[in-house]
Amino acid sequence: MVSIKLDNVSLVYKLHEKLTLSAPDRRLGPTGGRIEGSGRKQFVQALDGVGFELKAGDRLGLVGPNGAGKTTLLKVLYGIYEPSGGNITIEGRVDALFNINIGFRREATGRRNIVLRGLINGWSEAEIEEKMEDIIAFSELGDFIDLPFKAYSQGMAARLAFSVATALEPEILLMDEWIGAGDASFQEKAKRRMDELAEKAGIIVLASHSEGLIQSVCTKRLTLKGGRVESLTAVPVRSAEAALASP
Amino acid sequence: MISALNGAFDDIFRAMKLRRVWIALAHEDIGDQHRRTTLGPLWLLVNYLAFAGTFVFVFQPAGKDAAGYAAYVAIGLMVWFYLMEVISLSVPLFKREESFIEGTTLPLFVYVMRLTIQSAIRAGYAVVGCVIILLISGPSLTPAWLWSLAGLLLILLTTPALITVFAFTGAFFPDSEFIVGNLMRVGMFFTPVFWVYNGQDAIQTYAYLWNPFTYFLDVARTPILIGEFPSNAFAVTGITALVMWAIALLLLGKYRRQVVFLI
Repeated sequence: MVSIKLDNVSLVYKLHEKLTLSAPDRRLGPTGGRIEGSGRKQFVQALDGVGFELKAGDRLGLVGPNGAGKTTLLKVLYGIYEPSGGNITIEGRVDALFNINIGFRREATGRRNIVLRGLINGWSEAEIEEKMEDIIAFSELGDFIDLPFKAYSQGMAARLAFSVATALEPEILLMDEWIGAGDASFQEKAKRRMDELAEKAGIIVLASHSEGLIQSVCTKRLTLKGGRVESLTAVPVRSAEAALASP
Repeated sequence: MISALNGAFDDIFRAMKLRRVWIALAHEDIGDQHRRTTLGPLWLLVNYLAFAGTFVFVFQPAGKDAAGYAAYVAIGLMVWFYLMEVISLSVPLFKREESFIEGTTLPLFVYVMRLTIQSAIRAGYAVVGCVIILLISGPSLTPAWLWSLAGLLLILLTTPALITVFAFTGAFFPDSEFIVGNLMRVGMFFTPVFWVYNGQDAIQTYAYLWNPFTYFLDVARTPILIGEFPSNAFAVTGITALVMWAIALLLLGKYRRQVVFLI
């Protein structure tokens, strides 16, 4: 059974003062959160006591101001960041879309990029071969698929990335808000595919600042602030057209 | 210590299972570097021959030593360029792979192997150039050449450890990219790449005996030029390899999860 369970998960990391010949620079790492401590012992509390449970069919929207911990939480769920405390139990095959350009090579064609992205995702050659035409068809890139990736617009790149990420029907799909990069018709198409994934007893976790996108896609909303859960509520059902029309 | 080693071996094991990823990416890297050029990667061969030819032409001694000097420089440059490229490109490795490290769960050793394969492919063109020079300059083919092959293999096996150690150095100490780059450029003159040590000068004695690169060069060079097994060079290179692997495994095991917060 596909599920996600987080129990009192925290992520704390030390602010490394890098050895450098330049002026002292306590750089903040890639996450948001709160800086705690002083002097040479400064830490970032990126997530603090986060707990929730998702079951098959749930679509969770992560909301909150910049630095609230949305992307950090997604990366903890994906396994990029190792939590400092608490427990995470994930059942199901996870795929993630954090950055359109990851795994794509500017000079390679879209077709070659599908192969590379497939390899990075751990697909077999047979799986790549089998899914190739479906991915090309869903991305609607047509003859552009044999042109270098650098010739693609942001929307075309987003379509290709989404098509590849969802081609093997991940049981759990984690997405950052870049999905808004595509045009309205692609967003609608992407939403339909996400609906299909969720209906096949999958879980979707989407971080976004767009209330319209959250209302259109998600069934639950988790509000984060300063790395802590502020609230976990159900999202009222609205038509996709009405939801996407809101900001 | 044990958990660090377990973590390192787990990372390496997972990377080995993803070998199609790093092999494909390394080939793409080489292709991208020479895309739209007429000769493509053959430029690597041309560059090597141009360098080796220039050194031989400028520094070749007169008299009976002249014949062996071309082979001496050819092998020395081949190994030195390989080591220089590996070390210089290792220091900013994790920074270069930032988007992958922050966006995928690929094991860190994938990036190490990607650079290893990329460097090995590039060195392959230098090997072709070196063989051409050896055939022209005339050292006779003997079974001792197999020791040279074993020496190159030892260097290749040390490469992932070197890359790991210098990549972590670069992650913790960003200035090291420029320091190491400068040291490697200067290091060429303190390593017997193109000058021959005859036990003459004090500085050259230290540069020869106390420089680990000397032995990396000798494991490949001595069997072909002298026809002997360089036991001392193999011992020093082997010990260096073991020490580098020990450090690499500890760094990988202890800090692989921290790299994402450092870059």
